[in-house]
Amino acid sequence: MNFTITRQNLHSGLAAVSASIPSKTTLPVLSNILFEAKEDGVWMSGTDLDVAVRVKVPADVKEAGSLTAPGKKLVEITRELPDQPVEVATRNEQIELKCGRSHFKLNGLPAEEFPTLPEVDFSEGWTVTGKDVNGLIHRTAFAVSTEESRPILNGVLWELRDGSMRMVATNGHRLARMGVPAESKGAPSADFIVPPGALQQVQRLFKDDDSLEVARSGNHLGFRAGSTEVYTRLIEGTYPNYDQVIPRDNDKMATIDKKALESAVRRMAVVASDQTHRIRMKFEPGRVHLNVMTPDLGEGHDEIEVGYDGEELEIGFNANYLLEVLRYMPTDEVQVAFKAPERAATIEPVGEELDYLCLVMPLRLLD
Amino acid sequence: MYPARFPAAIRRNPESSVPESPSPRRILLVDCDAFFVQVACLEDPEGAGKAKYLIVGGTPTGRGVVTSASYSARAFGVRAAMPTAHALRLCPEATIVGVPRGVISERSRDVRRALEDLSPIVQAASVDEFYLDLSGTERLFTGETLEASAWRIRQSVLERTQISVSLGGGTRRVIAKLATRCAKPAGVHIVQPGAEDVFLRQLDLADIPGIGPALVEVLRKKGLVRVEDTWPVQIEWLQRWLGDRRGAWLYRRIRGVDSSEVDPHERRKSISAERTFAEDIGDDRELGRRLLKLTGSVASTLREKCFRARTVTVKLRDSDFKTRQHSQTVPEAIESDAAIHEIAKALLFDLRADRRMPVRLLGVGLTGLVGSEDAPQLGLFANSGAGETDRERAVSRTVDELRNRFGRGAVMPGLLVEAKKTPGGPKK
Repeated sequence: MNFTITRQNLHSGLAAVSASIPSKTTLPVLSNILFEAKEDGVWMSGTDLDVAVRVKVPADVKEAGSLTAPGKKLVEITRELPDQPVEVATRNEQIELKCGRSHFKLNGLPAEEFPTLPEVDFSEGWTVTGKDVNGLIHRTAFAVSTEESRPILNGVLWELRDGSMRMVATNGHRLARMGVPAESKGAPSADFIVPPGALQQVQRLFKDDDSLEVARSGNHLGFRAGSTEVYTRLIEGTYPNYDQVIPRDNDKMATIDKKALESAVRRMAVVASDQTHRIRMKFEPGRVHLNVMTPDLGEGHDEIEVGYDGEELEIGFNANYLLEVLRYMPTDEVQVAFKAPERAATIEPVGEELDYLCLVMPLRLLD
Repeated sequence: MYPARFPAAIRRNPESSVPESPSPRRILLVDCDAFFVQVACLEDPEGAGKAKYLIVGGTPTGRGVVTSASYSARAFGVRAAMPTAHALRLCPEATIVGVPRGVISERSRDVRRALEDLSPIVQAASVDEFYLDLSGTERLFTGETLEASAWRIRQSVLERTQISVSLGGGTRRVIAKLATRCAKPAGVHIVQPGAEDVFLRQLDLADIPGIGPALVEVLRKKGLVRVEDTWPVQIEWLQRWLGDRRGAWLYRRIRGVDSSEVDPHERRKSISAERTFAEDIGDDRELGRRLLKLTGSVASTLREKCFRARTVTVKLRDSDFKTRQHSQTVPEAIESDAAIHEIAKALLFDLRADRRMPVRLLGVGLTGLVGSEDAPQLGLFANSGAGETDRERAVSRTVDELRNRFGRGAVMPGLLVEAKKTPGGPKK
């Protein structure tokens, strides 16, 4: 393998791929990036066995070939190289970099040792816009469960339908759901449960104006735009019926200034229990009282004006769940809807036609 | 081995410990000297109280082990957790008495009450260990050094409770803990502010709390036995050998970095129980019964302490002393006998499937504790793995009430009643 590449192209390719390299691994080749020099350019790939990233960068290839070389070291070297063409060559199992007067030789591993990336046929898939996908990821992926006890909730449910798509994430206590209209290319409806790590890579690598091809092959999902590809293993199993738990009969509605609510909840959270983060909210016409009382610590009280004319109702929440949900609400005002102290409350943006809904389960108030 | 006394090189003039601004923390660890032995002597002054060499623990027949031994018996090499039979071979003249279970917690409470009158913050770390935080009391005691405070506290506790204690002191909890070992028995050992590094560097790695036999062995293979050997090793190397988190932890640990507070309200982190059987058990049904008994016992303690648990652990020690354990964490914290036993049963099944050997010891532990009075977080998906119904919870609480009124044997699972009726029946 022998090619010449601009420092800029080498660095952007390595930066794209290196984020998929695991920081700690028992399989040494996973710390490496696979280089494949072909006629049309150089492909670089990295994987942690769950998510893989593959990019092609333009280069003047003199001799085709492949080798894997230590990813993090190459990124660090390239970052420090002068802005001049870099000549990359392989000699046995070493990769050699020459740039101006700088010269490096790094030990690599044979390309055959690198895991084979899934083969995905993009002609039988869906086409979506980077803007739609990134928007859905941004507003839902935060709600994914990080606990191992229910692996199915460690992924984001992505529903692709004729004319629309939707993402849903939950940890069983709070949930985020967002949908957007989407053009489909006649591919059938499908549901995927995608690890958030893969969606992070998608968000990082694809721009809003990218036209994103998505296709499935067995238990893998591929994303492609231009010469950048992301592959991920899908989480297997049946996602719980989230639609069933979204209340349709929440008849008490409060319209609240998002910033005012956020800062009041944040103030209360300071005094809330480290274990439960419990705060109480008492809604009455025109205002909501926020209270917190933590044994051995103390208490706090706050109140804000809200648009509410329903009956008085007291409800408990984990302050952290409320804050997370509020952080991702895109509008200045939000509508909080509930029915009873032990029923799910929904929070939706006000003033924009968005199919976005978050749901927070209350904390039981024992007294 | 620890030096019997603080080396002169690192002993500072006690006067120099008068705090400068900002004042260093003044932490003491009060450790009751051979607590079980002292309590046994106080309870039976004519019997145990007059024994020249006293061992508190199980009987020498079977698998009884030493719980505690008098310092005179320790001179013969008798140690806690040693089989009593072996201890008797080392010290044939020793008198053996059972553990005075009923009064241990009562005496421990006495010591705690005495300490609470002497220090603003007291945290019970175990039945016979108490951390005190005397920070900010310098002016109250008109410049009394920490060492003088420690001697005064020792004397006062002895007068009020007849229990002799040793005190270790320093600017951090871990330092106080290590210093206590140098103070024992019936002494005081203070590591002065600024002298911590010198103090730590003379210790073996195995002396540091949290560095267990497995880690000691890994480090020994790298040629590291003493803290002094490990001190110059860069954090990067420790991380390379032990992983990022563990390497960084060891680096800080040997330097005595410890910002933990003396917290009188510190929450309990685990509840567990284990049994060493008189004879190894190979029969799965019998193991199942023992597990049922153990889970009932830990679950009842869990509820008594007003907790729920998220993680259940089952531990087995096979007849060849190989110890194994499996854990399972559930999404919602549980408290009922039924739910905890159901998980423990599956864990035991897995452990037995991995290795079928007669079992010497069985244990059940509960961690991930949350207060049962804490506002429970309601879940979105019913029956999504919480594994406990309101009915199961109510049944367990009712059983607790019945046992409180009519005694522990008033209600028990049918399987255990059957086993009681046919002693030895289920065994092969």
